Amino acid sequence: MWNWATHPISGLSFLGMVIGAVVILLLTLLVVMYSIYWQRKLIGWIQLRIGPNRVGPFGLFQTAADVLKLLIKEDVIPSKADRVLFLIAPILAFVPAFTVLAVIPMSQHHVFTANVSIGALFYLALSAITIHGVMLGGWASNNKYALIGGMRSAAQMLSYEIPLGMSVVGVVLMAGSINLNDIVIAQSRSIWYFIPQILGFIVFMIASTAELNRTPFDLPEAESELVAGYHTEYTGFRFAFFMLTEYVYLFAMAGLFATLFLGGWSGPFLPGWLWFALKVFLYISIQFWIQATMPRMRVDQLMTFSWKVLLPLALFNLVITAVLKAVV
Amino acid sequence: MSISWPLVIFYVIALLTLCCAVLMLSFRKVIYMALTIGGVFVGCAAVYFLLGADFVGVAQILIYAGAITILIMFAIMLTNHEAAEPPLSWNLKNVASAVGCVLLAVVLLLAVRSTNWPGGGATTDINGGNTNPIVIGLMLFKQYTIPFELVSVLLIVALVGAVILAQDRKEDE
Repeated sequence: MWNWATHPISGLSFLGMVIGAVVILLLTLLVVMYSIYWQRKLIGWIQLRIGPNRVGPFGLFQTAADVLKLLIKEDVIPSKADRVLFLIAPILAFVPAFTVLAVIPMSQHHVFTANVSIGALFYLALSAITIHGVMLGGWASNNKYALIGGMRSAAQMLSYEIPLGMSVVGVVLMAGSINLNDIVIAQSRSIWYFIPQILGFIVFMIASTAELNRTPFDLPEAESELVAGYHTEYTGFRFAFFMLTEYVYLFAMAGLFATLFLGGWSGPFLPGWLWFALKVFLYISIQFWIQATMPRMRVDQLMTFSWKVLLPLALFNLVITAVLKAVV
Repeated sequence: MSISWPLVIFYVIALLTLCCAVLMLSFRKVIYMALTIGGVFVGCAAVYFLLGADFVGVAQILIYAGAITILIMFAIMLTNHEAAEPPLSWNLKNVASAVGCVLLAVVLLLAVRSTNWPGGGATTDINGGNTNPIVIGLMLFKQYTIPFELVSVLLIVALVGAVILAQDRKEDE
């Protein structure tokens, strides 16, 4: 239906791309709004609280009210900040977060999904660009907490991207393709890869939590030591952009997780998009559950854990997968 | 009259990339230069995508726009906070490098013009029916095995060298 990859760009297909991008943006905003609502509700229940319940039925419009409040707040720019960089840093962080959604197959019919032959690599490459936004935002604020938060964030995201990539390579080896669409089809023919790739699955879960800067790896914005990390000086809608980036990545990472390990849109009885939504919901809920359960790691344990535990585990998984693939 | 959309998009990307490059040369603050050179790298990657070379485009983003630009920024942030370049002066070194750049451009242009490219436009399949990553993998492990292995030895040497340098500094303290 929307097969753009096989023929060169034309005026009509360009229009289709624009429409697709707008539709996905609206969908993403909706998902982000209700992820935040679900986060507050679920953590509330875990801590024996009620959670938001005032705005709208069951508090369903709470996030919309919060976003509205952020949008009409004053946009404060510190006088000693590097003005241009301070202004564009949130945009630099957000653009790749939204772009990676293009390669994630959300439904069986690939409405608005790019059939890129290197989909998984595309995700990993673009998510590295966000680090620029975070780092420049922290640096341009001219604030010691923001600078330390930005530096920590860059170091953490760079070092956890390597075990994350290595755990993806195991799946790629099994499926015989880096194209995310092909990986889903390969899983729908055999079994979902979280069983044969259990080691890679564990590494992916931990490394993706660190990539998303979520508890127990939320050191870049550790409020007990760094106020709020790289977005300490941000207010109003620029702060909202950083938050949006974080939650769009949560959605995108959930989509990647579902695609790589839980068979994406494939599954019996239900339609493809519903299966995909269920798996994404599962990943997001697990993230919130971990957030409500775990304390924060210490900063000196963080790097050691990535390089000395996760990376060898991921490499070991890779070797096992290659041997099994060659033998079986 | 029909518009050739790939050509239009090529000119848009080329314009943006050249803007970034000119901005990079005109900025005096080093951190802005790092940011705009990131823009140039992304623009090059966009051209590769337009040409159907997905893998090369993603590698460009991953290595140049991602890793190398971040490395440059780290170096700037950890050394001089307000690093700025002195204004341009035409000394011997600058003239020599300008001449070198023009000569390189001429050589590249001649090489591109004299190469015999497979014709037929966008519909020609030069991959033999395989996807890009498969063809690149086959090339690396069949035709170019020895250069590939030599490059990996070079990278290992660089890695070990970096570790040794960092280790020495720690003992001095």
